[in-house]
Amino acid sequence: MSTYLRNFLRLKQGQSTLDPRLAIYYATTRCNLNCTYCEDFGARRNGEAVTTTLDDAKKILSIIRDGVKNLWITGGDPLLAPHLFDLMLFARQDLRFREISLITNGTLLSQHLNLLPLLDRLVISLDSVEPSALAAVSLPNEQSQSVIAAIEVAAPLQKEHDFKLILNAVITPETLSSMDALIEFCTTSHILLSISPQAVNNWPHFDLLISEEYRAFIKRVINLKKHGAPILGSNAYLKTLLNQEPYACYPTIIPRIMPDGCLIYPCLPMEKEGGEIGGRPVNLLGVSSWNEAWQRAIDRYGEAPSSCTSCFQQCYAEPSLIQSRPISWAWERLHTGIDLGTYGPG
Amino acid sequence: MAQDKNHDTIIIGGGVAGLSAALHLAERGLHPLVLEADPEYLGGRLAGGEIIEVNGYEFRLEHGVHGIWSQYRNFQAMLARHNLRPVFVPAEEETWIYRKGNVLKSAKIGSTIRRSFLPPPFHYLALFLRPSFLWMLDIRDLLSLPLTWAGLVMGIGIDPFAESQPMEGLTLGDMTKKWSPALRALFLGLARNGLASHPAEVPMSGFLAFLRFYTLLRRDAWVFSYLPEDGGTSICEPLGDRIRNLNGSIFLGASVTQVIRERGEWLVVWETAQGQESARAQHLILATDSKNAENLIEENLNPDELFFPRSLANAVIRLWFDAHPKAGAEAGIFTGEFTLHNYFWLDKLSNPFRRWARETGGSAIEAHIYGPDEVLAQPDAILLAQAIQDMQRVWPELRGHRIFAHIQRNPATHTLPAVGAKDKHLGTVTPWKNLFCAGDWVQHPAPAFFIERACLTGIEAANAVLQSLNIEPWPLLAYLPPEPLAAWIENLMQLGRGKIRRKRNRG
Repeated sequence: MSTYLRNFLRLKQGQSTLDPRLAIYYATTRCNLNCTYCEDFGARRNGEAVTTTLDDAKKILSIIRDGVKNLWITGGDPLLAPHLFDLMLFARQDLRFREISLITNGTLLSQHLNLLPLLDRLVISLDSVEPSALAAVSLPNEQSQSVIAAIEVAAPLQKEHDFKLILNAVITPETLSSMDALIEFCTTSHILLSISPQAVNNWPHFDLLISEEYRAFIKRVINLKKHGAPILGSNAYLKTLLNQEPYACYPTIIPRIMPDGCLIYPCLPMEKEGGEIGGRPVNLLGVSSWNEAWQRAIDRYGEAPSSCTSCFQQCYAEPSLIQSRPISWAWERLHTGIDLGTYGPG
Repeated sequence: MAQDKNHDTIIIGGGVAGLSAALHLAERGLHPLVLEADPEYLGGRLAGGEIIEVNGYEFRLEHGVHGIWSQYRNFQAMLARHNLRPVFVPAEEETWIYRKGNVLKSAKIGSTIRRSFLPPPFHYLALFLRPSFLWMLDIRDLLSLPLTWAGLVMGIGIDPFAESQPMEGLTLGDMTKKWSPALRALFLGLARNGLASHPAEVPMSGFLAFLRFYTLLRRDAWVFSYLPEDGGTSICEPLGDRIRNLNGSIFLGASVTQVIRERGEWLVVWETAQGQESARAQHLILATDSKNAENLIEENLNPDELFFPRSLANAVIRLWFDAHPKAGAEAGIFTGEFTLHNYFWLDKLSNPFRRWARETGGSAIEAHIYGPDEVLAQPDAILLAQAIQDMQRVWPELRGHRIFAHIQRNPATHTLPAVGAKDKHLGTVTPWKNLFCAGDWVQHPAPAFFIERACLTGIEAANAVLQSLNIEPWPLLAYLPPEPLAAWIENLMQLGRGKIRRKRNRG
């Protein structure tokens, strides 16, 4: 039985600790950008950045594969990990992950086009196509054009290498007015677009919460998607963005693993809080199976919560929402070819 | 008396309402002064309290466990904007425990209500699919179901806060008088738990407003979380630091005795341990609890007759055990023949208690008693003994495992939500020039309760000050609308009420 169906049945029985549908592995926490909205690993934190050896990274992925079929590789910027190609080749050819996705800021993409055949999804963080908006949040002018140029090179290669190119845009007060141009860019370039609001303290940015322009934009997105625009996201997720309605979060669908093998449980916000409800209970290098790691995590922090309202982050919201909505799950698969239950840009 | 100092705004009361007002003023560049009567702790009913030691471990107490509900939108947005919003501990389940004589029954109800597949107001019917819930009922409950639901559906048509509808003379007791025993006990228990009050004292307006805000109109309204530590550590002290960083001032131990309007300003006089002090300000925000606000206004401003919601006292019992209870929900309500009214297993909710429980294998519970007065009037030892007896009935496996017990008497500061006549119940803007009110007792059309209402009226009071100075006010976040079926019924009921009113007027 597929993990999705097994989880769906568990939900119906009132269980909240679900099996992972994808794992997010941070190839490195080094980054070459300092996006204003990044609450994780900007260049300003490179002093404490972690990257592991290829051998250890392979061991970590092997343990992940023992319990998870789909892999996301992220960072920092994963293209800064020195062994990324070898690691992804190992993940693809030896471990045979069902889907492999890579999320990058794209600044180094032109030097790594050899990765494309190894990917099912390439997700590039690009918040606007207008240099002034990009400069305000993430990309200096000189880099933004090279990222867009790399995207224009990668987009036509989607068919040849059988991968999907997705732009992941963070809506910020600075980029909001240029989001329509980004949709237009994606439409003409045959690229999928996913959106999420800037989070501050795990909640949507206050200026967006009170912005009529933001609400009008999300309504427009819902309408455009209905009419075939290449926008990724379930109707439930987009409505959650519109109204900030609480949703049932199932964070164990999307476990995260740090470069050194530490498993984050049950979710990133709870781990960051550093209290008694979440943390890094186990290192995958110290266990012999995924189940062993998982059991140790549950033993330490207990079953995952099921009614958490602490965050509105896309990486948790979309897979959680889609897990309890089989019709939306099937519809989105038909519409975009993407299983949103395994979509979690982290 | 120390020399008068001038401030833009003086805020009396350093609870959620006062701190929210101060933060929003300080963010706009003003320099508010907050006067808090408590000599040690900021935050009013959300403050942290004394630290006690149990077998070498320290625990900081507080007024009582607080729920942060999904509908507390302005409160959470305010905290998030300043990176002060902690990662909350999600509520997983609430149990209903019912006792009659020697018969003790229990059913898990919380998750069923918030995850019901039925749309509101019929989402409670999902409870009837749970055998443990059905076991709580008898034939009278099933027969009286239509009457119960008719009462609730009628309630959807009245929005006491938005309509300023006092429903004078009607109480929760009146509404549920003809309901069957178990269903009546459940709803009285919910009201007692939610409103922290004895049902006999709950005005109908407060109960209906409570039902609308927390459960009747949306399934996800019943989604809530707990604070990771006591309210002072998790919220109020970081909030106070933020206000100070933005050039606001906070004085603890400042018990205000006089407010005087003179020369176009407000003169505020307060007592401290060192003596009397005073300050002047163009604007004054009264952000105390209802009882203290009433006292200050009556003693200083010679008002016409005003309505102030009642303030209630309660008792909080905490017990520590060297063993765990058998598996069960982290919280619940007691109904029927109990002295206690609700409980929270602290070792499943709060970081310091969780840490202690993990290291020692122990458990700790907090239980509340909301009255009636004659119960609360009993000596500590008797109340504690009754509480222990109640707990041993429900968790007999913990008999002989108690290692520490603590009883805390909270003063009469808890607001019993109620709506007064519009011209008698003070809103954020008052009849006195540049005197504004904030707090969970203040009249406002928003549906919010308790912490959220205190925050919302705090922002509104700050906005009133800002507007009088021609400074941009703060926007408020709207509350989520009713789910479609509940919205349709609400419209229908209101149309019907409108028709009846028009008929009466013609008559």
